[in-house]
Amino acid sequence: MASEGRDGSEELMATAGAPRGDGIPMRPFGRHDQNISALGFGGHHLGDAPDEGTAIRIVQEAVDSGITFFDNCWEYHRGKTENWMGKGLKGRRDKVFLMTKVCTHGREAMIATRMLEQSLNRLQTDHLDLWQVHGVGWDNDPELFIRPNGAAEALLKAKKEGKVRFLGFTGHKDPAVHLKMIETGFPFDAVQMPLNAFDAHFQSFAEQVLPELSRRGIAALGMKPLSGHGEPIVNGELSAEEALRYAMSLPVATTITGIDKLEVLRQNVKIARNFKSMTTAEMQALRERTRQSAGDGRYELYKVSLRFDNPEARLAHGFPLDDQSVEVKEMMKATENTGFPFPDVKQQQQ
Amino acid sequence: MADLKGFTRRKFVHGSAAALTATMVVKPSLAAATGGGVTDNQEQVPHRPLGKTGAQVSALGVGGFHLGSIEEEKESNELVARALDAGINFFDNCWEYHDGISEARLGTALKGKRDQAFLMTKVCTHGRTKDVAMKQLEESLRRLQTDHLDLWQIHEVVYYNDPELIFAANGAAEALLAAKQQGKVRFIGFTGHKNPAIHLKMLSHDFPFDTVQMPLNALDGTFKSFEQRVLPEANKRGIAVLGMKSLGGSGEIVSRGALTAEEGLRYAMSLPVATTISGMDSLGVLEQNLAVARGFKPLTADAMQTLRERARPVAADGRYELFKTTTKYDGKVGREQHHYPTEEKLPV
Repeated sequence: MASEGRDGSEELMATAGAPRGDGIPMRPFGRHDQNISALGFGGHHLGDAPDEGTAIRIVQEAVDSGITFFDNCWEYHRGKTENWMGKGLKGRRDKVFLMTKVCTHGREAMIATRMLEQSLNRLQTDHLDLWQVHGVGWDNDPELFIRPNGAAEALLKAKKEGKVRFLGFTGHKDPAVHLKMIETGFPFDAVQMPLNAFDAHFQSFAEQVLPELSRRGIAALGMKPLSGHGEPIVNGELSAEEALRYAMSLPVATTITGIDKLEVLRQNVKIARNFKSMTTAEMQALRERTRQSAGDGRYELYKVSLRFDNPEARLAHGFPLDDQSVEVKEMMKATENTGFPFPDVKQQQQ
Repeated sequence: MADLKGFTRRKFVHGSAAALTATMVVKPSLAAATGGGVTDNQEQVPHRPLGKTGAQVSALGVGGFHLGSIEEEKESNELVARALDAGINFFDNCWEYHDGISEARLGTALKGKRDQAFLMTKVCTHGRTKDVAMKQLEESLRRLQTDHLDLWQIHEVVYYNDPELIFAANGAAEALLAAKQQGKVRFIGFTGHKNPAIHLKMLSHDFPFDTVQMPLNALDGTFKSFEQRVLPEANKRGIAVLGMKSLGGSGEIVSRGALTAEEGLRYAMSLPVATTISGMDSLGVLEQNLAVARGFKPLTADAMQTLRERARPVAADGRYELFKTTTKYDGKVGREQHHYPTEEKLPV
């Protein structure tokens, strides 16, 4: 499947950025003079924590354990996870590399700028380390992004104003759309994508996008190391540790994984602290195990269905909503009409 | 949130035939490009050659799924009889439609008229072996009350590993050949609605397919396009193309205002296809389709380009071609075989 060259570079990259003592390994953020933790804290799952107090404790312990990369998104749980992360990072902001995402989904720059102010406010900070365009997956997203008055203009403006240090985009759908986005020529610092042992066989981001990023010195941010909600682990296809180790052994700056409980945090931190890159042979052996069930996308529903597409994106693109999704349920509860796309989640709803 | 399930085509099929026709300049030469066989009889649906099989099929086909959606058997009988009278001979069906009800309905409706019809149904192995296919064939023949099919197609080739499963030793491809050899089916083909790349992978096996079925509509013309990528390849190989989903599968293209039903159907029928299969769940829909199909003259290349351009902005993200961009049109049996969540657990 993979060429020798790719596997060789995997090992090289994954071992680069030596661990600090017995801490979580740090790795370079693309072409920049900046290191980030090889394990990243996924923001969406934080909203699944039972309450605000627990969420704050999870964030605090994550920072204290040596995780520096924090992921979030304007539309996760309609603002709740940004709020909770902001509270958790109080007094620890300067220890982390803070990222959130903007959810224009093709809409104009003004909406992006307004979302940035809301994100900064919720995260209780005056700047982001990384601001990314969220959920690029529809075929016309790249052209809508780069058009005059598109989100691209808002990104550049925010960087110029010092509100964000670096820029990027994320998506889980189709490597071809990622490549189209890169080909717009926009100066991206980071690109986020699903990377796991199933992706290797099926519409593969690892095969199609990773080499392009490394050529351009763009930081690769892996996500969905456990395929989103850990379905293949539940079904016994591989263990959580194998899945996470595989993803972290790819040539990425960080692997973002969702954390909704202290136990999950501790388990992931332990794996990351003991992390040794898989050998080429180990990775190949794992890929052989996943080959058959990877072939139809059953463990990567984010590529083949709307399951992981948030309502903000579906509405902007005129797609049907899923009334079982947590964001739609939260949206239904919101009654305030501000005239803007969707009302904020109010403090009392948290 | 719009609920498309509530729509039926009869609600938004408008009688704008006159308005559209007035703006069209029909070049007679184009009729030949669409497969010829266009008769001068304005009262009948024209027939076209089915690839290089020697068979002729009507340019409009009756979709089998919707036959099973009709409440009264009396009405489905009437619909089939009127379709035959209008010159339609192509009847589509599938082993898994409404758990067999669609096939049973068509079998009843064609009783005594079997020889007037070009009868197709589909087999639903979804990756399983030849013996599963042969068993389904016997069930289909029994429900359809016939001893042979004119066309037997592999249904819903939409999962990315389907081609390798179909062509694996003892797979469905072998069943197609066996059935043909046994005289139980005259011609063989496959269908799918997901991705042109999957269709091309199927064709790359150089298997003697007589037909290939795919979604063809004005929006497809510019988005993940079967028209651009698969249609020319099939034409080149002399494989008959069967169009479907001319209005988006459940009329999304029409109900959301991208095109009128007439424009949508006219566009699809103007492509170089043998037939365009349209689901009809009432006599009213049949009549509206017949208003387009009787004495059908293809649109000019310019008129088609105009429709494609008009639809382009909403075509570009696949919002009205949900069969390509979501799992909405992926059936129960295929989901089971591929270990996908059920429709309830994985809604659109």
